[in-house]
Amino acid sequence: MVRTVADRTFLPAKAVLEEVGDMMILTGKTIVSALRPPYPYGGEFVSQFLFALRLCWFPLLVSTVAFGYGAPGLQAANFLVLFGALDRLGGFFVLASIREFAPFVVAIVLAGVAGTAITADLGARKIREELDALQVLGVDPVKNLVVPRFLALMVVTGLFDVYALLFGIFGGILATLVNGAPLGPFWATFFTNASVTDLWGSLVKCTLFGAIIAIVCCYKGMTASGGAAGVGRAVNQAVVIAFLGVFAFNYVFTQTLLATHPEITVIK
Amino acid sequence: MGWLAVPKDWISTFGEIAKFCGKIVGQVYGLRVFRFFGEALRQCGILILSSTLVIWGLVFIIGLQCGIEGAYFTRSVGAPAYSGVFAAWCDLRELVPYAFGYMMAAKVGTGIVAELGSMRISDEIDALEVMGINSVTFLCATRLLAAWMVLPFMYIAAIGAGFFASYLAVVQQIGDVSSGGFFLIFWMFQNPPDMLFSMMKAMVMATGIVLVGCYYGYNASGGPVGVGTATAKSMVLNIVFVHLIGMLGTQLFWGANPRAPIGG
Repeated sequence: MVRTVADRTFLPAKAVLEEVGDMMILTGKTIVSALRPPYPYGGEFVSQFLFALRLCWFPLLVSTVAFGYGAPGLQAANFLVLFGALDRLGGFFVLASIREFAPFVVAIVLAGVAGTAITADLGARKIREELDALQVLGVDPVKNLVVPRFLALMVVTGLFDVYALLFGIFGGILATLVNGAPLGPFWATFFTNASVTDLWGSLVKCTLFGAIIAIVCCYKGMTASGGAAGVGRAVNQAVVIAFLGVFAFNYVFTQTLLATHPEITVIK
Repeated sequence: MGWLAVPKDWISTFGEIAKFCGKIVGQVYGLRVFRFFGEALRQCGILILSSTLVIWGLVFIIGLQCGIEGAYFTRSVGAPAYSGVFAAWCDLRELVPYAFGYMMAAKVGTGIVAELGSMRISDEIDALEVMGINSVTFLCATRLLAAWMVLPFMYIAAIGAGFFASYLAVVQQIGDVSSGGFFLIFWMFQNPPDMLFSMMKAMVMATGIVLVGCYYGYNASGGPVGVGTATAKSMVLNIVFVHLIGMLGTQLFWGANPRAPIGG
């Protein structure tokens, strides 16, 4: 009786912990085999990079403009208009766009668009036993498949962060224009409040989001099993774990950045 | 002509999806789905058991995020007692619907695609048709009905999870404001219509996600690879859809009226 109850509670927890451990091991292997010569993954890296770029640019554009206009744009503008201080919207966008939503919208779109495509691709190869065939041929799947995706996703999320910043702020500009206010004060408060710490924090955070997404999606793809249903299930689990991982990491990172750099929270 | 092919393709896909969704919604509103009410209840059970905790989890993390940003922001303007304003608006109006939409798309949407897609690949859907069961009603309309029965309650609880997380972050973690002071401002800056609007946003997102999931799953083709590709494709559409609904909802519900207890 006690044993069944204990099994019911602890076996799922154990499975989760084992999976997290496996992902950590994959991360370690990926980093080691990325650094150790030879470097055969150049071509695959470029093709994955272009693949992610081609797939994500349009959903990301729509998402960041919509998010920037709706959440921080309209709501904050509404609040500031009540005090006649709409010029402060620029300062608020430093907090909203650079520190918060540009990185996480990039992560959501990359995980949902490029991450799912990676899992579907690797999962299909696993199901058709192509990964085993590669190993028989003496080709290391981690070095030739995971490393280029890991690096490409990290680079592409870092660069997309800048892109999301531009379009997120464009959403803020739209909100200012909708309220019939001039743009000069928006830019003035934006640039007085923006700091280099904010920007590098945003870029580092976003790059690490890319790493999380790549590892989760590659792991889930490479361990897919069970035919047609298995690949779909792998994609489903990959995107859920990637979202949870990204947001949990986001909370820890933002909290650490805000607590260790009090000067960036000062409103100028 | 090459570049025109892509938008043309999008428009025709969009039309197909709209047609298919119209069929499903028609089955639910035409009450034909109640022939399979048992299946709908089974889908409710699956939704509750497999998705609730994950959705609440993501909303909880987002609530923490709203809390710390609000606490640091209001501290920097010298009014830490007002972090409740930021938390209330950030949670209820914007990020809880978004977080709910993201997790619905990730967990429920792709789950439906994977499930229906593998049924299609292994010819189970054709088998249903052969047995004289209307597969759209049995598979898609029941799922939509299940979503409509379960999700409003799940969403209200999710708002609770977000509020609790913001409280933890602002009062217990950062601690610039007392519990009473936080709640005074927090409840002052929201009211039941706000919650209703927020819920409408989330329910439109959820309905769209379930319908898109059904479309891509039901029409999957091309073996195991096809199921994976269909799952990935549904996610693209769902993410764009969630963001657009988020923006349009904000514009519609709060665009012309801030609904804040300030001024006249």
